Amino acid sequence: MKEVISSEVAWQGRRLRFPTSLFQKRLAVSELLVVVAALVVAFIILCAIVPGWIAPYLPTEMLTDQLLQAPSAAHLFGTDYFGRDIFSVVVYGSRDSLFIGFASVIIGGLVGGLIGVISGYIGGIVDTILMRLIDVLMTIPGILLALAIAASLGPSLFNIVLAVAVSAIPGYARVMRGQMISIKSRPFIMASRSIGSSNIQILWKHVLPNSVSPLLVMATLGIGSSILMGSGLSFLGLGLIKEVPDWGTLLSQGRGYLTVAWWICTFPGLAITIFVIAVNIIGDQVRDVLDPKKRTA
Amino acid sequence: MGRSIITRLFTSLFVVLGSLILVFCILYLLPSDPVLMMIDPSSATPETIANLRHQLGLDRPFYIQFASYFNNIIHGDFGNSMMNSEPVLPKILKHFPATLMLTIASSIIAVIVGVLLGVLSAIHRNRWIDIVARIVGLFGISMPTFWTGILLILLFSIQLHWLPVMGSDGFKTLVLPAITLGIVGAGFIVRMVRNSMLEVIHEQFIVTLRSKGLSERAIMYQHALRNALIPAITMMGVLIGEMLAGAVVIETVFSRQGIGRIIADAIMAKDLPVVQGVVFFSAIIYIIVNLIVDISYTYIDPRVRRAH
Amino acid sequence: MLKLQNNWLKYVAVAMVLMLVLGGCSIGTKEADGNATGTTTEGVGGKSSQGGELSYALATSPDTLDPHRSGLAVSVRVIRTLYDSLVVQLPDHTIGPWLATEWTVSPDAKSYTFKLRQDVKFQDGTPFNAEAVKYNFDRIINPETKAANAQALLHPYKSSEVIDEYTVKLNLETPSQAFLGNLTQALLGLVSPTAAKKDGEQFGKNPVGTGPFKFVKWDENAEIVVERNDDYKWAPAIVDNKGAAYLDKITFKIIPEEATRIGSVQSGQVHAAETVPPQNVASIKGDSNFQLLQVNTVGLPYTLFFNQRRAPWNDPKARQAVQLAVDVDSIVKTLYLGTYERAWSPLSPGILGYNESLENSIKPDVDKANQLLDELGWARGADGIREKDGKKLTIQYVDGSPNREKRNDIAAIVQQQLKPLGIDVKVEITKDVQTVVYINGDYDLYGNNQVNSDPNGLYWFYHTSAPNAAKLSISGSADPELDKLLEQGLVESDQGKRIAIYKTIQKNIIDKALILPIYVFPYTVAASNAVKDVKFDTLGYPLFNDVNLLK
Repeated sequence: MKEVISSEVAWQGRRLRFPTSLFQKRLAVSELLVVVAALVVAFIILCAIVPGWIAPYLPTEMLTDQLLQAPSAAHLFGTDYFGRDIFSVVVYGSRDSLFIGFASVIIGGLVGGLIGVISGYIGGIVDTILMRLIDVLMTIPGILLALAIAASLGPSLFNIVLAVAVSAIPGYARVMRGQMISIKSRPFIMASRSIGSSNIQILWKHVLPNSVSPLLVMATLGIGSSILMGSGLSFLGLGLIKEVPDWGTLLSQGRGYLTVAWWICTFPGLAITIFVIAVNIIGDQVRDVLDPKKRTA
Repeated sequence: MGRSIITRLFTSLFVVLGSLILVFCILYLLPSDPVLMMIDPSSATPETIANLRHQLGLDRPFYIQFASYFNNIIHGDFGNSMMNSEPVLPKILKHFPATLMLTIASSIIAVIVGVLLGVLSAIHRNRWIDIVARIVGLFGISMPTFWTGILLILLFSIQLHWLPVMGSDGFKTLVLPAITLGIVGAGFIVRMVRNSMLEVIHEQFIVTLRSKGLSERAIMYQHALRNALIPAITMMGVLIGEMLAGAVVIETVFSRQGIGRIIADAIMAKDLPVVQGVVFFSAIIYIIVNLIVDISYTYIDPRVRRAH
Repeated sequence: MLKLQNNWLKYVAVAMVLMLVLGGCSIGTKEADGNATGTTTEGVGGKSSQGGELSYALATSPDTLDPHRSGLAVSVRVIRTLYDSLVVQLPDHTIGPWLATEWTVSPDAKSYTFKLRQDVKFQDGTPFNAEAVKYNFDRIINPETKAANAQALLHPYKSSEVIDEYTVKLNLETPSQAFLGNLTQALLGLVSPTAAKKDGEQFGKNPVGTGPFKFVKWDENAEIVVERNDDYKWAPAIVDNKGAAYLDKITFKIIPEEATRIGSVQSGQVHAAETVPPQNVASIKGDSNFQLLQVNTVGLPYTLFFNQRRAPWNDPKARQAVQLAVDVDSIVKTLYLGTYERAWSPLSPGILGYNESLENSIKPDVDKANQLLDELGWARGADGIREKDGKKLTIQYVDGSPNREKRNDIAAIVQQQLKPLGIDVKVEITKDVQTVVYINGDYDLYGNNQVNSDPNGLYWFYHTSAPNAAKLSISGSADPELDKLLEQGLVESDQGKRIAIYKTIQKNIIDKALILPIYVFPYTVAASNAVKDVKFDTLGYPLFNDVNLLK
C-alpha cells in the first residue's frame, strides 16, 4: 500500500520537474534511439547466425595479391596483412565475440547475482561466509584470475568464457548484495514486513524488482567488458586463436599495423564499441520497463 | 563501530589465506613445469633437472609444499623467484609504488570525470549534456585499453610530441597511462552515478524535502548526490581492483615498471613464489580499500549509519 | 532549472580548479626528476663524437646478465657490451685473437693451449689470467651454476690446466671442430671470478666482465644502464676503435610492445630500437630523420620441423607432399613485405658450409603433391579432407605465444595453403612449448631457429641422441646415415672436407623433406640519424665500441 503511494508521489514529482511538451519530444527521440539500437543488435546477431548471407568473402580467404588495401567499394573495411577482407572477417568474427560476451555474462551474472541475493537478504553468518569467499575471488583482480585460468587450462572458447565469467562473479555478487542491504532498510520493505509478508514474498515481490536494475545495468555493461577482457587476453598472448578471429583478437593482432593500415584494428574496435553502445541503450530501456515505480504508475 | 572493524580484520586473515590457497591450487593445476621453463631444452641433463626440482622443493606433495610456503610467510619469508632467485618481497615493494601511482592517478581521473558527468547527465536527463556524457562514458568502457593507449601514444607522443611514449620516471610518463585507465573507470562511474541519481531523485524523502521547500540545489547536492554515491562507492572497491588489473595491460603498452607486469610474467612462467607474493599483497590492499569503502558508507548513507 | 544549471556550473568550476591544483601539485613535486631525466636524454650527443649517452630499446627483457646462465638472444645484446671472449670470429669464418693472443691445438685435437693477453683487467680490478679462464669454464660445467646454453656451447669441454700465469690448456672429452668457434660466442664470455664467487646466484644482476662497458644498474622491466670502461684497450679485430668506447653510457630500455618501441624512436624518446616490424621498415627507410640498420642473423634459420616420431609424417613421401604444397615464397612476401629473406636450407647463408645449390631447388607443385598423397592411399572424404583407414589426414601444428616475428601468422597461412590439398591443419598456439613439444612430443609440425657460429648447431636438432634423455629433439630424427655425417662434421679437421660434409647434410635434410625452411631473421634497428657506426658481429649482435652520436 505504502509503496504504491510513494511511487505515485514520485511520479508526480517527476512530472512536476519536466514540462509535458519537452517530455513528449524526448520520448520520441529516445524511442528512435532504442529502435536504432535494436536494429544494430539484431543485425549483429544476424551476422553471428548467418554470416554467409552478409559477408562477401570467406573469412579465411587470403587474397595475397591484395595485401593491406585501404577501404574501398571492393573491400568495405579494407584488407589485412593476409589479404583477407576485413568486413567478412568482422562479420564472421561476431559469432565468437557474441558468444564470449553473452555466455560469460549469463554464467557470471547468474552465479554472482544469486550469491549476492542470498548473502544480502539472509545476512548474518551466511553473509559473512559468502562474502569472505567472494573476497577471496576478488582479491585476485579479474584479468589476473582470467590469465591464471587461461594459462592453466589453455585458450579454448569455453575456457575463455569460464575465465571471464569467474572473474565477473564477485562484481555481480557485491553490487547485488549492496543493493539488497540498501533496499532491505527502506521504509516500504519494513512496512511490508509489518503487515506480515513472508520472506519469500518480500524477496520476490519487492526486493528483487527493486534491485534487479543495477544488475541489469551491470550485465549490459558486462557483455562489452567480457568481449574486452577477451581482447585483453589476446593482447597478453592468451587469447582465442582460431581460423576466424573474434573481434578482440582481430583488434589485438592488427594493433601493430595502426600506423600503416589503420583499418585493420579500427573496424573490429568500432564493431565492439557500437555493439556495446547499442546493447546499453537497450539495457536502459529494459531497466525503465522493469522499474517498479514506472510500472505501478 | 570499532568492534566491527576488528571483526573485519580478523575475517580478513581468512580471506588472505583463502586467496593464497586458491592461487596455489590454480597454479598447481597448470600442466607446465617451471623447471623446464627455467632451463634450455637442448642442454640440461636429467640429473640437472631432478636436482633443480629438488632444490626448489617441487618434488614434494602438494600439501607439504603449501604448508611449508605458508609457514615461511608467517615468518616473513616470501621466498625467492624461481626465474632468477631474487627475493620476492623486496621485488614487490620495489615495483609497487609505480603501480600505486598509476592506480591513484587514474582513480582520481575516473572519479572526477565520472561523478561530474554522471551527475550532469542525471540532472539534464535526455538533453544534450546527458547524451554527450553517456556517449563519452560508453566509449570509455567499450574501447580496449591497449587500443586506447596506442591511439593516445600516436596522437600525443608521436604526432604532437607533447608527452613521452613510455617509461615510469616522473609525472609526464604517468599522464597517458593514467588517462587510458582513468577513462575506463570514468565510464563505469558515469553509469552508476547517473542511474542511482535518477532513482534517488524520485525517492520519497527527496519528494518530501522538496515539499518542505528546500532549494533544488540543496536537495541535489546534500541529499540526492549523497545517496547516489553509495553504489558508486561500492563500484570503487571493485574498480580499484580492476585498475590494478588494468595495470597488467597498461604497463605493457607504456613499458612502465610495476606489479602488473611482474605478475603477468610470473603467471606465464609459473613462478609460484612471485605470484603468491603479489596475490598476498593485492589481497591486503583489497581488504584495506574495502574497509575504507565500508566505513565511508556509514558516513554517506544515514540509513546504514543508523543500522550500526 | 536555469538557476540549478548555474549552480552546477559553479561546482564544475570548483572541480576544475581542484583538478588544476591537484595537477599543479603533482607537476610541482615531480618536476625535479622529470627534468633530470629530460636533460640526460636531451643532452645526448653533444657536438663532438666523443661522449654522450645512447638509449637503445630492446624488444624483451633479458633473463640474466650472467652469460653462462642466459639463454636469450636479447640478453646477448647487453652481455656483449660487458664481457669479452677468448677469441673472435672474423667475417671470413676464421677465428682471430681477442683475450687470447695465440693458441695451439694438440695433434689428437683434444686440447687447446691459449696464450693470454697480459694487460687485461676485469672491471672490478681482478686480474685476467689463466686461473680466471679455468674458473670460468669450470663454472659452466659445474651443475650448481645451472648454466644454460653455455653448457651446450662448451661441450665437450672436460677440464683446464693452468700452465703459467698467462697460459691455459683446455682439455676436451672428444675432438670438436665447433669448439673454437663456440668460444667466440658471448655466452662463453669471461666473468670476473671474484664477483661471480661473491654474488653467486645474484651475479646476473651484478655482472662484472672485461668488456668495453661496465654495469651500472638494472631496473627490472624498465632499463639496463652500462657505462664506459675507461681502461678498455683489448677490442677485437671486428671493431675499429681498439681503445675505450666513445659513448659515456648506454641505456637499454625494455619496450616489449611493438608500436611503443617504434614510437619511442619516432618521437625521439630513444635513439634506437631493435626488431622493427616489417610493416614499419618501409616508413623508417622512407623517413629522412631515421636510418634502418639491418643484418641477417646466422645459424639455423626459422624452420618448420616435422616430428618424425608420428605417422604419417614419418613417411618421406607424405612430407614431400607438404613440401611441394606450401608456398614459402608467398608466406614470406605476404607477412614480411620483402624485408625478410626466404630460407632454403637447414642453415642460414653466411655460416660455414652453407649449401647455395639448395636455393630455388623447390617450387610449389600442388598437382605433384596431390599425386603423392593419392599414391599413399589418402583419399578425399566428403568434407574434402583426405582419409585413410577411417583416419583423417591432419597436421598438429604447434607454435608458441606471443606471436614472435609473426610466426603464428605463418601457421595460419600454412593452414589455408594445405586445405586444398586435403590436409586438415590444426593450429595450436601455446604458452608452454616446453611441455607440448620437448616433453610430450605432441605435435607434427613445430618451428624454431637458432643463432649459431658453427654448422654443428645442426647436431642438436637432427642427431638421434640429441639433445638428451630428458627432452626430445625437435625433428625426432633417427637416421643412421645423418647421424654419421653429423658426427664426422663435428670432428673433421680439414676445412674443405668439413664444408663438403655439411653441404651433404643440408641436401639430405631437404631431399628427405625433414623440414620446411621459412625465413632468415634479419636483426633490424631503427635509429635516429645521430647514431653513427653501429657494427655487428658475425652472428648479427650489435657492437657499441665504435658508436658515436652526432648533434
